Amino acid sequence: MEWYSALALLLGSILLLMAIGMPVALAFLAANIVGAWIFMGGAKGITLLLNNGFGGLTNYALVPIPLFLLMGEIFFHTGLGARMFNAIDKLLGKLPGRLSYVTVMGGTAFATLSGSSMGSTALLGSLMVPEMTARGYKKHMSIGPILGTGGLAIIIPPSALAVLLATLAKIDVGALLIAGIVPGLVLACLYIGVIFLQTKLDPHAAPPYEVEALTFGQKMRLLMGDVLPMISVMVLIVIGMVAGFMTPSEAAAFGALGVLILALLFRCLTWEAMKKSVIGALRVTLMAYLIVFGSATFSQLLAFSGASSGLIDWATSFDLAPIAMLMVMFSVLLLLGMFMEQISMMLLTVPIFFPLAATLGFDPIWFGIIVLLALEISFTTPPFGLLLFVMKGVAPKDTTMRDIYVSAFPYIGCSMLLVALLIAFPQIALWLPGL
Amino acid sequence: MIGKFYRGFLYLMAGVAGFMLIWLMFSVITSVLMRNAGLQPFAWLFTSSEYAILYMTMLGAPWLVREKGHVHIELVTAALPAPARRVVSRGVAALCVLVCVILAWKGAELFLGNIARNDLDVRAYYFPKWILTIAFPVSFGLMAIEFSRFVFGKDLMHSGEAGIHE
Amino acid sequence: EDTLTAVHAFPESLIYTKSFLEFVDKVNTAGAGVVKIEVRGGPEAIGMFQQPDAVREGVVDMVYTPGSFYAGALPEKDALVTSNITAVEARANGGIALIDEIHQEKMGVKYLGWFDSNVCYNLWTRDEPKLDANGNLDVSGLKLRGNAVYNAFFTDYLGAQVIDLPTTEVYSALEKGVVDATGWTQIGLIDLKWNEFLNYRIEPCFFSTDLGTIINLEKWNSLTDASRQILQDVAIAHEAESAAKLGAVRDADFAALDAAGMKVVTLAPDAAAAYLAAATQSTWDRMKGLMAESPQGDGNYDRLLELFYVK
Ligand code: NA
Ligand code: NA
Repeated sequence: MEWYSALALLLGSILLLMAIGMPVALAFLAANIVGAWIFMGGAKGITLLLNNGFGGLTNYALVPIPLFLLMGEIFFHTGLGARMFNAIDKLLGKLPGRLSYVTVMGGTAFATLSGSSMGSTALLGSLMVPEMTARGYKKHMSIGPILGTGGLAIIIPPSALAVLLATLAKIDVGALLIAGIVPGLVLACLYIGVIFLQTKLDPHAAPPYEVEALTFGQKMRLLMGDVLPMISVMVLIVIGMVAGFMTPSEAAAFGALGVLILALLFRCLTWEAMKKSVIGALRVTLMAYLIVFGSATFSQLLAFSGASSGLIDWATSFDLAPIAMLMVMFSVLLLLGMFMEQISMMLLTVPIFFPLAATLGFDPIWFGIIVLLALEISFTTPPFGLLLFVMKGVAPKDTTMRDIYVSAFPYIGCSMLLVALLIAFPQIALWLPGL
Repeated sequence: MIGKFYRGFLYLMAGVAGFMLIWLMFSVITSVLMRNAGLQPFAWLFTSSEYAILYMTMLGAPWLVREKGHVHIELVTAALPAPARRVVSRGVAALCVLVCVILAWKGAELFLGNIARNDLDVRAYYFPKWILTIAFPVSFGLMAIEFSRFVFGKDLMHSGEAGIHE
Repeated sequence: EDTLTAVHAFPESLIYTKSFLEFVDKVNTAGAGVVKIEVRGGPEAIGMFQQPDAVREGVVDMVYTPGSFYAGALPEKDALVTSNITAVEARANGGIALIDEIHQEKMGVKYLGWFDSNVCYNLWTRDEPKLDANGNLDVSGLKLRGNAVYNAFFTDYLGAQVIDLPTTEVYSALEKGVVDATGWTQIGLIDLKWNEFLNYRIEPCFFSTDLGTIINLEKWNSLTDASRQILQDVAIAHEAESAAKLGAVRDADFAALDAAGMKVVTLAPDAAAAYLAAATQSTWDRMKGLMAESPQGDGNYDRLLELFYVK
């Protein structure tokens, strides 16, 4: 079968199944059964599908996500989260959209340490969205910043994906990690700009309620009693990672433990809260991991059938100007990213894109950052970005697909703007590692 | 009576999945503490957390079907008039049953093959693979039953409201 | 024309994969019009650890993988792991023929060739290794990253504190000091950039790479005699060429590491002998135990040792 027929068949079947309302995970599994039958020689292909799922799920890299979810759920169900946000709300005074800014700053801080987009989205989503909705924020004011900062986890070090990319592309790991810092911070600033604009254009996007003026003593009491203890859990985890006490993957478990201990100290840990937290974390994990089960094989079918390599070869076969070539590669990454998981995408594209980038005269570190940005964007691109589904899992019941898509768009726009900035001013990425 | 027993089994499996989540936390914390105390962390702590993810996902999945927790997108079903929506919704559920039956059947073959060939999963230990792959026929089998409730039962999987649903 | 589909266990950027792709080119040149290998990709096409099952089932015809990835089905792969000879010698003395026979019997695959031999493993450390009064390596206090291939040796003999980590996490674990030593093949350290943190290499090296090309047996039997002949001849030639080539790559890598300040600590003869004996014996014991549990038994044990290990 020609690569375009294989591509059309695989993508067509999954799109159709999802459109008629089949659960996403089942749609992947159904498309896999069809694909395995055609490309992997019938029934034995289905056995391989199960073996793949087995390999995909017995993977240590999946450990942090449920634990970050658990951490966020405990924070929420014990009331610790509400307590902290009440305090921050009062401390920040009248600033419109203040919790949205807190989300960006907290998310950026969290991204720098977690290295896991899914974990970061899961934690912030379960922590912030219910709180902010209860306070009268419109959905996009909480969901948007979280989707945005979830992607930052890939760019701001430490980032497991950046290390893997550098290894595969044989570029300097340290330089690539350092090169991500400034673009990451620029992106966070762009996010802040979005929130500012959104609150200017629509004053009701964030609740305009008045808060009482506080004395300095009251402020200090709020800060010491309700904010610092919660933040100290995060700080202790960071110290633990920097000091070599634990790896970033292991940090999630200590985060959950830290919040449990905090809830005990604040005497708000009940069986009911614990049960709700476990069930909440379990629901999202199960939903996401069954999709992981299905999409792992789907990625492989795209590769094994020759569909994705055919697409890449075709797209890169045109003799275009360097900048147009860059756009072509970027588009291929975005397209694949809608259906494939990120590590497979890297394995597939790196051996072709990096040598091509070298012949076009691109700096490999700069190009590496562009690739990471494409991976980040594809994670939140409608309709299938995995972070969108994670967000749907943790957001309040009445959140619709539209809410999530609409929330994501301005932040995807920011990432696109950053790519444009990087093309115009490569120094944004290259200045810091060049020092 | 059978229904009650079945429901108990379904929730028991979900309970085990919840326990696996707690186990993940416990095993990671224990091995980090042991390592930093200068002790040799038991290798089974690491391996068991990898296995726990598989058991958690597979054992909890049928319960999540009952809870309508697997996300789906409502476009077509939202645009259709109610009678047509019921037909499409039951049809989609039937397709899910078919997928699960196929996977349960191939999963049973895989599980039996693992026993017959004495296959081992090699990590820190050599572990009989069938103890892990037995999760497939059980999980997909129960998921097939749960989806069939949306084919034949009163309740529909789709609400008719546009959006992603869980 | 016979066509075989193939996948390889490691990403394309890795030196071992490049070697396999060279082999494929050689076959496709020598076999023009007769036999053709069609590479479908690496771990992105079929998962690394699912590839052995895939070739057994016939989803793909040929796989290039370490034997250690199917240790559960074929514990005899440890004969290659512990080997101190190259594929050229094992081909000449009938060792590879015996391994092929065992593959056909136990897994239903043809063992076509042992590529990229002549490379062994070293222990690499961040800090200067301590030696006891007798010159034996003292690993107390060392945080050693392990894996299933050499854990038996590290823990049982060295008594080391082994930390299991996926390869992708080792870089950041070294950076943060979660681990400060690891085993790794003689080559490849520079590609992984671990030499940014590791400063000492301990000699002697132990074990061997165990990368081989296996073909679904039904597929193999369905090929024409001419195709089989070409595949086998090219594979035997590639066994020798890849061993020689990797030897040269190792020398170049060592020179580059030396230049960058990597220091070499060589154990004294007695200590070295004890170190190597322990590495092999604990692994052989494991192999014998697993062989005995299988229906075919451990009848080949002595013969495997004799053919793959020169005392
Ligand atoms: Na990060
Ligand atoms: Na995606």
